[in-house]
Amino acid sequence: MVERDRVALRPEQATIPPGHPWNRLPVIGAGAALLGAVGCAVLGAGNPKQFFFSWLVSVLFFVSLTIGALFFVLIQYASQGGWGIVVRRIGETTFATVPVMAALFVPLLFGLRDLYSWAVPGAAAQDALLRWKAPYLNVPFFLIRAGLFFAIWSFIALAYYRASRRQDETGDPRVSARLRRFAGPGLIVLAVTSTLASVDWIVSLTPHWYSTMFGVYFFAGSFVGFIALLSVVVVAMRRARLLETIISREHLHDVGKFLFAFTAFWAYIAFSQFLLIWYANLPEETIWYKARMQGSWMAVSILLMAGHFGAPFFYLMGRTVKRNGATLAFGGAWLLAMHFIDIYWQVMPTLHPQGFRPSVLDAAAFLAVGGCFVAAASWLMRRQALVPLRDPRLAESLAFENA
Amino acid sequence: MPLLIPQLPKGPYYGILAEFGTPADLYHACERVRDAGFTRWDAHTPFPVHGLEGAMGLRRSPLPWIVLVMGLMGAAAGFGLQWWVHARAYPLVISGKPYLTWPAFIPITFEVAILFAALGAVLGMLGLNRLPMHHHPLFQSRVFERVTDDAFFISIESWDPRFDPAATGKMLESLGARSVELLES
Amino acid sequence: MAQTEAELLDNPVAGRPTLILRSPDFHAITDVVAEPVERRTPIGWWLFFIPSVALLGLLGGAVSWLFWEGIGVWGNNIPVGWAWDITNFVFWVGIAHAGTLISAILFLFRQKWRTSINRSSEAMTIFAVMCAMLFPGIHVGRVWVAYFMFPIPNQMGVWPNFRSPLLWDVFAVSVYGTVSALFWYVGLIPDLATMRDRAKTRGRQFAYGLPALGWRGSVRQWHHYESAYLILAALATPLVLSVHSVVSMDFAVSLLPGWHTTVFPPYFVAGAIFSGFAMVLTLMVICRTAFRLEHIITLRHFDYMAKIMLVTGTMVGYAYSTEFFTAWFSGNPYELFTFKNRALGPYAWAYWTMVSCNVISPQFFWFKKARTSIPILFVLSILVNIGMWFERFVIIVTSLHRDFLPSAWSYFTPTIWDISCLLGSFGLFFTMFCLFVRFLPMVATAEVKTVLPQADPHGHPAPARTIRQGAS
Repeated sequence: MVERDRVALRPEQATIPPGHPWNRLPVIGAGAALLGAVGCAVLGAGNPKQFFFSWLVSVLFFVSLTIGALFFVLIQYASQGGWGIVVRRIGETTFATVPVMAALFVPLLFGLRDLYSWAVPGAAAQDALLRWKAPYLNVPFFLIRAGLFFAIWSFIALAYYRASRRQDETGDPRVSARLRRFAGPGLIVLAVTSTLASVDWIVSLTPHWYSTMFGVYFFAGSFVGFIALLSVVVVAMRRARLLETIISREHLHDVGKFLFAFTAFWAYIAFSQFLLIWYANLPEETIWYKARMQGSWMAVSILLMAGHFGAPFFYLMGRTVKRNGATLAFGGAWLLAMHFIDIYWQVMPTLHPQGFRPSVLDAAAFLAVGGCFVAAASWLMRRQALVPLRDPRLAESLAFENA
Repeated sequence: MPLLIPQLPKGPYYGILAEFGTPADLYHACERVRDAGFTRWDAHTPFPVHGLEGAMGLRRSPLPWIVLVMGLMGAAAGFGLQWWVHARAYPLVISGKPYLTWPAFIPITFEVAILFAALGAVLGMLGLNRLPMHHHPLFQSRVFERVTDDAFFISIESWDPRFDPAATGKMLESLGARSVELLES
Repeated sequence: MAQTEAELLDNPVAGRPTLILRSPDFHAITDVVAEPVERRTPIGWWLFFIPSVALLGLLGGAVSWLFWEGIGVWGNNIPVGWAWDITNFVFWVGIAHAGTLISAILFLFRQKWRTSINRSSEAMTIFAVMCAMLFPGIHVGRVWVAYFMFPIPNQMGVWPNFRSPLLWDVFAVSVYGTVSALFWYVGLIPDLATMRDRAKTRGRQFAYGLPALGWRGSVRQWHHYESAYLILAALATPLVLSVHSVVSMDFAVSLLPGWHTTVFPPYFVAGAIFSGFAMVLTLMVICRTAFRLEHIITLRHFDYMAKIMLVTGTMVGYAYSTEFFTAWFSGNPYELFTFKNRALGPYAWAYWTMVSCNVISPQFFWFKKARTSIPILFVLSILVNIGMWFERFVIIVTSLHRDFLPSAWSYFTPTIWDISCLLGSFGLFFTMFCLFVRFLPMVATAEVKTVLPQADPHGHPAPARTIRQGAS
């Protein structure tokens, strides 16, 4: 086997050409964001609680995609995986939007009392458990932690993003070596911060509840969400005649395999958490699931079981589906929607315990947050190469073939 | 018809066995044999050579379907057993839960599904490969003993319509065979 | 063109490194792997085999006495109903998991370096499952009615409780043993054929030829074979996750603080892989030198194994921290007490042994020097296994010995029969492993050949290339 020659792609092969419709994505994203923001302002004024909950769901959804992207890219570096180099830039672009997400988190700070019962002044006085948790669940510490999480994630994200883009120009292999060396500690920091963030932002909605599995559950959902996003973006790029010769069926197949595997992993985590709480039947733990099985929430729970696991599992099992852009992208889009429903189902029963009560604000918040995310990510895409042009192991990734 | 069903040979020979030196030689030779239109032939290697199925023109193995069916049967069997025992045969109220406690039935359902699927994979593979088959005309060749060590072979059976004892042998030599042997049936 | 180990361990930024050193050809691989099986038994083998059989005898004696006298010969008593018996069970099942991970999961991730070690680690899996299944079997007390555990009609007309994780265990571990054995056997078929074709006596030819099923290397057969191998790997992966998750549920479905916590399933799986890899490391350090396989099981393989131990050890550390945080966060006084009791109570010695072996010792593996130093690898792998045994002991015994009712608190002490059963189980394990390396090829020769550069039909026939430093 001959030593693989180092391949350097020319920038024109891997950027969005001028005049390409994707150049308009930032404006489209900004437009959607504006529409969503107006909707939120108009409708939210009369119903602030609903606004804050809808906003929380959408922010959590898009933040989870960035967390998933961070995990994916750091794991690729740490494990020296070869196939994923071609799609790594998509992950990097996704997590480079973390500072934007931090800004989008700010509106929630005005609604902490609407969202979290422990943030209501005087709540701890009447509740012994809240008194116990007060050293952790108090507004100032919550704010400091949120700031810390976003600062740490931004630091890691921007460091990796910038280094990877600089390597496009220099082709310096030491960059890869350095990023690989820090990926391990980076993953540990990411695991700890994302776990605590999920406890702060989701678990504390039900302040008497607790689950040691929740950090893993949040990770599993985020990872599936990102891989789903990746599959949609990769197929869309090929459809838009970007990177057609660079991303092959083999890469689609591998993205599909990851999607399949982590859908199953999510189901395993979600079910384990449920089974253990259901089995022991302790009231302090079952309250969370009871709230999500009441009224029409039961239908949503069943939808998640069948739609987030059942159907995608059998759909993504076969080889043909994973190797075809249209079928893979459909699966990815479906799972993205399911991940959103998962987050919705985790958050909303606190506001609407009687049942599933969709609101226009849900859509408005999604447009606002999602529009900003799309605008930021696509703006970055216009100014960069879509693959790591001079990654030393790009050739291996390009030539990659599945069994 | 699958190659591995024994048939009556045309004449006194089983077929021709040709030895090749490297996987690359074998790969190219297989492509030529496939293109020449032979159907009752096979290649033999000490380990699976990447891409050789394509060079031989083989279709995808039906094994995944066998496994899927067996897995579903296993899941049904596992769940069915538990449902029957706990809701029909001897219902007992255990920890205040209903009879048909599907969450508690999942682990065993899953395990039995995997068991049936794995049995399907192994027995299916043995069946598709017509194994065990301890006796085969190829084993009479002394050179063939190295097939499990480091030698690569093509064998063409005599009941292939294009088989001819002389011409087929010459063709294989022209493809780079180290040695060509005519085997008795 | 020989490479030094140091060159090969360089960060492979450009191109994939060579896995097998000294550029052997296919025949050389066959020779070096088959040789230990074909030659006369060396003295070294007897030096391992005799003590192992002695310990196996100890096991037989201890188990017989246990059946005769009853569970009272162990130190188990109220409140500590489970102690060394179930600790040993979880310990052995955990070790088994690394074999399947190497065989199946690394196969799915296309990690070619697994081919040097997968045969022996799968064998390790099967023997570890045997040791594991022993303990739930003997700890039931009235062993003569152990068939009650199985869903077969019996004289009382009752069925086992399928809702109990103890029964999920019966199914999970037996399916795991069966599937692992099937996977191992399927992998062995081509190598058994190799041994058959090299056999010098009729007896050996028959002994290897019968289970080789008449394998003749037909590509049409390899085709279905490879499909089966991939499917078995894809089935074994969720199986591995499910088995140790089910084992963890033995504890997690209860109400006991320290046992009932939702993170147990993935935490136990990570711990299992952690301890399993440690055992594989211990075995491989001994075997590669004993059988002159240093060029097939290289320092690179140890580097990767140590990295996996670092990852899974860190996951275990994450789980410890989450449990600790949630013990406080939950506001549950019993939960908090359990964790304080572990660190500061009468079993603090066990707890801190566990922490230093499981959390501190794998941290050495951040450093490449540690990952590629045979003495450090050997010592740390043994420490990790000790730590993981103690982890199960701490979870089981400290949670039981002081639960809700202080008047029921007690202190468990093992008896000589507890110790004999544990040591004896090592005897069973090492006896089986010694027999394995004596009679079967301990490296998957057919698979190793596929990772040699000569195996690529599209590549050059030249042997492994050198890495040129600073090549552009």
